[in-house]
Amino acid sequence: MFANHPTLRYIAGRAGWYALTFFVAVAINFWLPRLGDANPVDTLMSKVSGSLDAKSARDKEESYLKEFGLVDLDEQGRIVRDADGVPVRTSILSQFIRYVGMSVRGDFGSSIVQYPRPVADIITTALPWTLALQIPALILGWFIGNSLGALAAYRRGVFDRVLYPMALLVSAIPSFCFGILLVYVFGIQLEWLPTLGGYDDGMNPGLTWAFVQSASQYYVLPFFSIFLLVVGGQAIGMRSMCIYELGTDYVRYAKLLGVRESMIVRYMFRNAMLPQLTGLALTLGGMVGGALIAEMIFSYPGLGLSMLTAIQSLDYPVITGCTLLVTICVLIANFTVDILIGFLDPRIRAAREGGH
Amino acid sequence: MVGIAAVFQKKNLGKPWQPGAQPSTVEESPRPRLLIPSFARTVFLLVVVLGFTACGPKQTTSDEFPRHETVLIGVAWGEPTSFNPILQNPSWPALQNTTALYQTFFFFNQLTGELEPQLATSYQEFPDRIEVELNPAATWNDGKPLTARDVVFTYNRLFRIVPGFPAWQYLDSVQMLDPESPRPRRLSFRLRAEKPNPLMVLHWLTLNYVLPEHVWEPLLVAAGNDYNILSKNKMDVDPVGSGPYRMHSYSAEKIVLVRDDNYWGNAALYGGQRPAPRFLVAPLYKSNDHYSMALQQGRIDASNTFIPRIWLKARKGVRAWYDEPPYFPPGCRPTAFINVLHPPLDDVHLRRAMAFAINYDDIRELAVSGYSVPHEPGFILPFGPEARYFSKEDALKYGTYFDPARARAELKEGGYTSVFKDNELVELRDRTGKRVPTLYIQCPTGWSDWESIIRIMVRGMRAVGIDAREQFVDSNAYYKALAVGDFDLILTTPSGIPSPAEPWSRFNGVLDTKDWAPLGERMYANMGRFNRPGAPGYVPRIDELLAKIPVTTQPEERVALYRELNRICMQLQPALPLVYRPKSFYEFSTKVWTGFPSAASPTVSPNIPGEGPGIQILWKLRPADAAK
Repeated sequence: MFANHPTLRYIAGRAGWYALTFFVAVAINFWLPRLGDANPVDTLMSKVSGSLDAKSARDKEESYLKEFGLVDLDEQGRIVRDADGVPVRTSILSQFIRYVGMSVRGDFGSSIVQYPRPVADIITTALPWTLALQIPALILGWFIGNSLGALAAYRRGVFDRVLYPMALLVSAIPSFCFGILLVYVFGIQLEWLPTLGGYDDGMNPGLTWAFVQSASQYYVLPFFSIFLLVVGGQAIGMRSMCIYELGTDYVRYAKLLGVRESMIVRYMFRNAMLPQLTGLALTLGGMVGGALIAEMIFSYPGLGLSMLTAIQSLDYPVITGCTLLVTICVLIANFTVDILIGFLDPRIRAAREGGH
Repeated sequence: MVGIAAVFQKKNLGKPWQPGAQPSTVEESPRPRLLIPSFARTVFLLVVVLGFTACGPKQTTSDEFPRHETVLIGVAWGEPTSFNPILQNPSWPALQNTTALYQTFFFFNQLTGELEPQLATSYQEFPDRIEVELNPAATWNDGKPLTARDVVFTYNRLFRIVPGFPAWQYLDSVQMLDPESPRPRRLSFRLRAEKPNPLMVLHWLTLNYVLPEHVWEPLLVAAGNDYNILSKNKMDVDPVGSGPYRMHSYSAEKIVLVRDDNYWGNAALYGGQRPAPRFLVAPLYKSNDHYSMALQQGRIDASNTFIPRIWLKARKGVRAWYDEPPYFPPGCRPTAFINVLHPPLDDVHLRRAMAFAINYDDIRELAVSGYSVPHEPGFILPFGPEARYFSKEDALKYGTYFDPARARAELKEGGYTSVFKDNELVELRDRTGKRVPTLYIQCPTGWSDWESIIRIMVRGMRAVGIDAREQFVDSNAYYKALAVGDFDLILTTPSGIPSPAEPWSRFNGVLDTKDWAPLGERMYANMGRFNRPGAPGYVPRIDELLAKIPVTTQPEERVALYRELNRICMQLQPALPLVYRPKSFYEFSTKVWTGFPSAASPTVSPNIPGEGPGIQILWKLRPADAAK
């Protein structure tokens, strides 16, 4: 049906693959945490069971198992038991089917560790902080890193000789070290900036000038801990790409023809940019997962810690909720780049148009 | 990417443009291209400028919770989930052992071992019941009187529907003794006849909240008496309690309580005084280190989190209960449980050899930051309220102190031979010459102090010829292994919260046989499955002593029974007690508030405000000059 619309056909083809990837990823994300021998009810029980006798402990455990849908129930809502009276555990497959059913209705269940808090609530409280910290840092870092890298490649000289080693240094420091370094220097030694939390302990979030001012103080260090690393990494990549492009035949030819330099730069850019663009999409997609380190170091509000504790305590609903979010982010980001590159990269466009 | 091209335009700006090509657009073209970088630059500059304006002096005037009226405490963990006190693990301040909002009958003072009045004024022990008298002034924060009817409702209606509610193991029912009175205040807590244990009932009287009938009865009816429905209510909108503070607000970053100036106890218990701080705030940081840093910066006033090497923090004004080792009053006993169903761990010689092989001083100094006192064998703490049950004479005679020579002697007596090669242990052989499988000592990975303890144990055991190794596992796997008995040796702490039931509850945690379950099924006490009734070598005296101690009222008799039980433990070594640990940590900073109790002026049990009896500290605090 798309025979006469190569572009549409291309988009539909990609979308099909992404849908398939999505389902496989969701299934794997659901299965993996449940494969092990331990389960979250053991962790919960260990916290509450110290003072329980065997019967109370069993009652408690069964009420947890029932509440979290880990055992089979009969029509009256009673726990199904085997011959020894041991509750029959629900198979992962039926758990999965129920999970898909619930997710389609937009219900992601309740957290086990933070019971009875709904997973959707955990994600929606934390996500704005994560996005507000990460998106500006990643995008600004990407733009500035690429500009600097290109500038270094193009201008060479002192600028390059200063910038390149600095970028190398910054991007070679592991991000957690860099964060700790910032905390130590600016937070503890110089005491210039606050290093703990997202805003002052003396206030509650709200749209007041005082809050915005406080939040912006607390924003600076976490922001730079991400931003500088992105700048460093992008600058290095862009610089090499540009140097490569500068030596290509088409650039030389264009120069020989006397094409305007700005025009050459633009051509060169479109080519040097493509891998960088893919990189940006991947970072944006992995943002939620990558949030963890900055958030832990600065005690910054956000999704990172919720995710870490969920994984440590096998809080299945929260793990699946977060991984679903990550999956969606990564896939959307990649899909967008796929489509964009399809339009931006003349080689892909040509292949597509020539191929049908 | 158009934008980045524009950066390069700068280089061209100095050169004359080629005439004629696009004369009319040449002037215009750079501008739209600059759009994005100029935007980026603006935002970047904005961030930098904001950052540096942010460096100025901190403004406190606009704060909602002014610092000099607020006590901040490091006491809560994780984002607030629900403040419903009938949940097993709700958020602070509905969490067990918090007395700011909801209250219990008594505070337990871990220094004196005494119960101090809170909602109740006094109690009396009888063989079949405990009678409690409520304070006649007790009032809910909505002005309604708090009476014995609320208590009866809380227990007989509300706690009845909580699955596995622990107090029912020892408690039969609760009755009013003066139901005709307009304001009934006398109560009888009837003990369970088959398990009479006044100690544990007193334990629960220091921990279980009393909740208002007039609020909870309608909720209970609306939920159709279904716990799962009732427990979904978050109880977060100005909940009715009886304590000195009320809920103010909460977010993912902090929980705020505000002083209730009409608190009944101000007049009835504190001589007309009210607590000094208007706000009690629990910020939620993400790791111990952050609480430590916040305490050093004076951002929080007290914390019960673990801070290593506290003596280094003294110059930043951070103090603990004592100014010198052990810094905190030790209160519990991390112990290695031994799985006696894994042969040859059923052999007392091997168990005692292990106990002799461990360098307890190294554990105290290297693994737990010195927050412990020198080790004595047995399960009774040789200090504090338990000291009266401890016998140094027994300890020297029967106990296992660090002594490699005696460890080797025990091995020899059990018929074991150790094979060494180049001073490295190769294997341990039993009496028949068969190789004893390597014994693994388990704890959760990443619990660094416990990992260090195990390394020290392993080093000591291998040196005397016992083939032991570390086993650090995922914490979820650890909890399961602990309950079902999937271990050789495993670290755990029997009995947690400071309690009037100690040291009985600690012994019971190690020795209880009433809820016996085979390996593979769960046990929540005596996970090493020691002393199974009817098994060869069963010591019935242990079960007798465990049953008798709680119902003994004569102090001298109780001392004798405890002494006997501790002696049996030293002789049979059912588990390996390793070190003493504080029940909870107690650190404070005097930057903003002074008057915190410490060993020099132990006016309140060593708990920070917001944790059990620590709430009483708030009446003793005075603003320090720094706050002005």
